[in-house]
Amino acid sequence: MRIRARYSVGPDLRFLGNFDMMHVMERALRRAGIAYALSEGFNPHIKLSMGTVLPVGIWGKGEFFDLELETGTVEDFVLRINQVLPEGMHVDECREIMDQTPSLMKAVNAAAYTFAINQSLPAVENKVKEILSSSELPVQSRGKKKDKVKDVRPGIFSIRTVLQENALVEITMLVSVNEPLNVRFDELLELLDRFGIDRAEVLDFYRETNYIKKDNKFYSPLEKVS
Amino acid sequence: MKNRLFKDILPRVAKPARYAGGEVNMIKKNWAESGIKMVFAFPDVYEIGMSHIGGKILYGLVNEKSSHLMERAFTPWPDMEELLRQENIPLYSLESFTPINQFDVVGCSMQYEMSITNVLNMLDMGDISVLAKDRQENEPFVVAGGPVVFNPEPFADFFDAFMIGDGEELLLEVLDLLEASKGQARMERLVQLAGIEGVYVPALYDCEYHEDGRLKSMKPKINGVPETVNKRLVKDLDEAYYPDKPILPFMEIVHDRAVLEVMRGCQRGCRFCHAGIVYRPVRERSIAILEKQAGAQLKNTGYDEISLASLSTLDYSGVDRLVKDLVCRYGEKGVGVSLPSLRVDAFSIDLANEVQKVRKTTLTLAPEAGTQRLRDVINKNITEEQLYDAVEAAFKSGWRAVKLYFMFGLPTETLEDLDGILDLLWKVKQIGNKYSRRPVELRASLACFVPKAHTPFQWEPQDSREQLEEKRHHMMARKMKNVKLSFHDSPTSMLEGVLARGDRRLGEVIYKAWQYGCKFDGWSEYFKFDQWMRAFAECGIDTDFYTVRSRDYEELFPWDFINTGVTKEYLQLESERAKKAELTPDCRQEGCLGCGICKNMDINLDIKEGLACESEPGIQ
Repeated sequence: MRIRARYSVGPDLRFLGNFDMMHVMERALRRAGIAYALSEGFNPHIKLSMGTVLPVGIWGKGEFFDLELETGTVEDFVLRINQVLPEGMHVDECREIMDQTPSLMKAVNAAAYTFAINQSLPAVENKVKEILSSSELPVQSRGKKKDKVKDVRPGIFSIRTVLQENALVEITMLVSVNEPLNVRFDELLELLDRFGIDRAEVLDFYRETNYIKKDNKFYSPLEKVS
Repeated sequence: MKNRLFKDILPRVAKPARYAGGEVNMIKKNWAESGIKMVFAFPDVYEIGMSHIGGKILYGLVNEKSSHLMERAFTPWPDMEELLRQENIPLYSLESFTPINQFDVVGCSMQYEMSITNVLNMLDMGDISVLAKDRQENEPFVVAGGPVVFNPEPFADFFDAFMIGDGEELLLEVLDLLEASKGQARMERLVQLAGIEGVYVPALYDCEYHEDGRLKSMKPKINGVPETVNKRLVKDLDEAYYPDKPILPFMEIVHDRAVLEVMRGCQRGCRFCHAGIVYRPVRERSIAILEKQAGAQLKNTGYDEISLASLSTLDYSGVDRLVKDLVCRYGEKGVGVSLPSLRVDAFSIDLANEVQKVRKTTLTLAPEAGTQRLRDVINKNITEEQLYDAVEAAFKSGWRAVKLYFMFGLPTETLEDLDGILDLLWKVKQIGNKYSRRPVELRASLACFVPKAHTPFQWEPQDSREQLEEKRHHMMARKMKNVKLSFHDSPTSMLEGVLARGDRRLGEVIYKAWQYGCKFDGWSEYFKFDQWMRAFAECGIDTDFYTVRSRDYEELFPWDFINTGVTKEYLQLESERAKKAELTPDCRQEGCLGCGICKNMDINLDIKEGLACESEPGIQ
């Protein structure tokens, strides 16, 4: 049985890298005694695909992985894995998916990043307007293609602004990830800085969730499974 | 503090997970309700420190089995150090983010002589007086344990107390005493500590020297402080604490796997080997206990590999059965077994095949010397034939790369012995090529021999850097295809040699070297040899006195007051046998050889799974 899970990674775990997160998950599966499926071959490994992995330095509320089980139910899986995950990590939702469901790696192409900003609501709203009205937003690429300047404007789909109870303003930026245009959180931080939101004024930031975007619609990877 | 670290500091350093704590199985005890608060301060980076078994044992022991508390700190990498200093953040513990100077005890694990500058640096980063004599009543007690402190003298200036030998019983006694003596004066408490067997408090001793620099006498200043400090040891490993729930790091560490300690000690009697003497006698753990521990550790960590650790795991009496049981029980679940060190014989290769049925990467063997004569001198009990049999068996069963460990600069060594290393490599390569279509890959690691305290070679002169460099050039001159030689750095080995057989006058040099920026001396990219030499010169101390000088049997050594259980007479006997290239057998097979350990420590060889002959501690 193939399953897809949505999980959260708390702020204290934001420094884990790609491989770290993979090890955390594999070891949790073993501690929980989950009947995972192993791949064939000389060096069998757990059929776990961490479709979305948080970059080092950021935490997240909606990450996803796919896993193949030999036996067991979705409910039992959620119960058992949550007993052994490190503090701060939690599987929040899980469902069975089909064998032919496209992998997360291929399907996920958008994400929402949230920044908690210590400025007044009108000030932030103005800056958001400025950002959205720019025709191009070149940033120094931080990803694989360093030293390259890329225009992230086409990758910014929308920005939502909300005044929080603690008087901070939260903005959530819906952006494109993976191919063809990958907008990274640190590039967004740089952008905010350029529009007058200093790094020190961003008190917290996290990845809200990931999406599969199709024809201008944004689906959760748990709903778009075919 | 934690907030500030997570928000402002950690995003700016490499590998922030080193400094974030919060790992699975971390134990954070209630501060107010705990007795003595101790921080285990490992003088190297997180990845190294977290790989160390001793630390795992003590951490679990104190936190699970006592009312005291233990947290952890590791040496911050220089990028983190710079930030901490710049932002005025003291070195803190990973459990509760408490500055290390808030603890009652700072315990340093000394696994390597060269990590001493990191100790000084950590204390300084933690706002603790670096010199023990400067420490105030409210400062922590700074203590050390580990193999290096069997000669604690070079480090006497920096520690309030040393703990000699196995820590399982000793550490709890120390913490209990510190709790019971709370409120008393620091010096008072140190005198009481010195009364615990295995504890050495350097401030309570006076040293006198001959005019030529040799030690004349070393005496306690106060009545009741022992003249001789006996090492502590655990008599029965089955009874000793071992953690079932070791901390599971988030980031990859050097030894990232579950570990079983199958035995402590090694009775092979290699004459260069420090651990082989100071950890005598062999004490094994029963298979039944080990299998229980394996099950618990795997269940609590989720590791996919389990390693059988000890000084010489293939000598464990139950190794064959244990390996087969573990492979059989966990193999199907994708959990592998690994053997850290292999003996040079065909049996080892068979067992290695057992555990690595599929992936045959690199096989590691340690012949140590290139000729039979020199192997006999160092009592490395393997013959040329055994070695070739082993590599033949290895290549036959599919290994394609072999790594071989050698030493050079050994006592009585000649150019012939060095050529012997090259001849041996050549021959191993020929054997390999018989079984493989592609040329096999050979790597030889050549360590400079450093005579260590408490070994039969403690009287021997160490080769000078010039001699070592000459020997290196000699060996490099002969080129062999697909054979890679790598040599240890001779300046590092020289310094290691000074500290290994040093005395307390070196404290001044170490302090200066640290002030001149020396740290991470075991890491070649940070090793500042010129600053060390500057420190020696300014202190008027000649390194040759400690290294290239040959010592008389009559000389009083700075480490003689530490009783490892093995007598100096026995070491001398072994030294004489070395000169005649006479072999000494393993007492497990041949019966008691009179090294003194069993008699002195009221203990016996503890072989749990049969095969070994009776040892007779009576015949000494």
